[in-house]
Amino acid sequence: MKPWLWLSALLLLALVAAGCAGHDWVSPFTLVKAIAAGEDMRSRLLVDWRIPRVLAAACVGALLGLGGAVFQGVFRNPLAEPYLLGSAGGAALGATVALLVPLGVPQALLLPALAFAGAWGATVLVIGVSRVAGAIDTAGVLLAGVAIAAVLGALRSFLMLALSDETVSLQIVLSWVLGGLQTPSWSGLGLLAVLSALGLAATWLVARGLDQLGLGEAIAQGFGLDVRRFIPMAILVGAAVVAAAVAFGGLVAFVGLAAPHIARWAVGPLHRPLLAASALTGAIIVILADAIARAALPPAEIPLGLVTAVAGGPFFIVLLARRLRS
Amino acid sequence: MSALRAETVTTRRGGMSILHAVSVALPRSGSVAIIGPNGAGKSTLLKQLAGLEIPEAGRILLGDRDLSGVPVRERVARIGYLPQHFAPHWDLTIDDLLRIRLEGAGRAIGDTITATLARFDLSALQRRRWSTLSGGEQARAILAAVLATDPPILLADEPGASLDVRHRLALVERLAQRGREHLSVVVMHDIDLAFRFFDRVILMDAGRIIIEGEARDLFDDRRLDAAFGVRFERLFIGDSRLLYARNQADQLPMP
Repeated sequence: MKPWLWLSALLLLALVAAGCAGHDWVSPFTLVKAIAAGEDMRSRLLVDWRIPRVLAAACVGALLGLGGAVFQGVFRNPLAEPYLLGSAGGAALGATVALLVPLGVPQALLLPALAFAGAWGATVLVIGVSRVAGAIDTAGVLLAGVAIAAVLGALRSFLMLALSDETVSLQIVLSWVLGGLQTPSWSGLGLLAVLSALGLAATWLVARGLDQLGLGEAIAQGFGLDVRRFIPMAILVGAAVVAAAVAFGGLVAFVGLAAPHIARWAVGPLHRPLLAASALTGAIIVILADAIARAALPPAEIPLGLVTAVAGGPFFIVLLARRLRS
Repeated sequence: MSALRAETVTTRRGGMSILHAVSVALPRSGSVAIIGPNGAGKSTLLKQLAGLEIPEAGRILLGDRDLSGVPVRERVARIGYLPQHFAPHWDLTIDDLLRIRLEGAGRAIGDTITATLARFDLSALQRRRWSTLSGGEQARAILAAVLATDPPILLADEPGASLDVRHRLALVERLAQRGREHLSVVVMHDIDLAFRFFDRVILMDAGRIIIEGEARDLFDDRRLDAAFGVRFERLFIGDSRLLYARNQADQLPMP
């Protein structure tokens, strides 16, 4: 029970801290008042802008945590991360198209849609290519992923060169790639929350298979897992979850790698508790990182992906060192 | 009726014939050792008997049913498969391992875990993580997991190859003893242990079954020498019989 208490308490603390932090710092008391019955300008700003943003950060972090746990489970490799199979390259290509190609559709709709399609489509392509090539094991899938990521990256570079007539549009693309939450409307947040719940449910369904797969392929089969069918299915589930995170948060670095590790230290390697703990951990990390991104250099915002990488990297190394020494 | 049988099972891989029209019928109870040189097709045959691989031609029958038509949960509950190597990727506890096994077979968990741990003398280690267990404890734990559903059939692929002699002996003895009430089929590298502990021996070479029979009848068969490409001296020490391998080129010792 103890790790769950810790994680819940940390989540609550992170939510409150991020609610207070920003260009305009407020006290927790003001925050509560704004939620309860705030009529003044400041309360309305908090309720319409800051709180949805904090909750969106929580959802994006939870999705990245879930996706990371699934990818590490499938590849049984602690270095596996959610962008392993072309999601990042695909999402970036989708976003570049949305930002640079005039398609006559509102960008607020087009950007998340194309980012999602790019992220998930890239992984679908990787699975398809590795099947056609007859590479059914995880090493084959990984190699196909590397090849497709290279192609997608080149396509994006070409689009950026060909279509950006001024440096501003290049900056827009670059800042999207570095990750950053858009403050969603309450209905947008509702959609994100539903997607997060669906993500948890979908990954929950592959949890037992991931447990079996973690025993090695031979014994997994002996314990009843159809390994050849399961691996691509689990990858597609994980990639869909990550694509949802990318659509709302851009390419947030590092969270999907670190969250499952921290969660594993807290609750052990069985995937049902691990998925839940990894979602909580991812949420906590992104909530805090987004608060730093908003509050560190007002009035500018630091790209979220930079914060997670710069703050998360050293923090993770410290955790790792402590873990290895004990 | 046999518990498990292969009917003219044929498998090729990369143009090479791995199994060549292999037929074998395994009884409801008894201990059977499969021996043969590397690349004889022992592990492939075992995997196909376990339903982990499907033969290209021929079929495997569980009782009177085609194994490929048996529901997965029933198959894994009734056939225990112990692979050659077992190293979990995550640092599980023995409790986690048993849980995963029982869930995969669709069995109840709580009481079965307690009973299985007691049966394998692992109760004190239930919550210990894999990395903290000794090699012997690990071998006992994975065997306990495979046998947690009390499967009528156990198929084991060269178990204990990495264990020290005491634990290897204990493991092989345990597997062979299981043949008194159940069917226990074990791929064995150590031919002496195969003849010493098992009722029946199957000799394979180049994807075929060369001979199959009672262990004591096969001991003197010269086809054993041919299959392994050596010349065996049959040694008798008290009640024990040992095979001492000599290079074929070696001259017979002059009297």
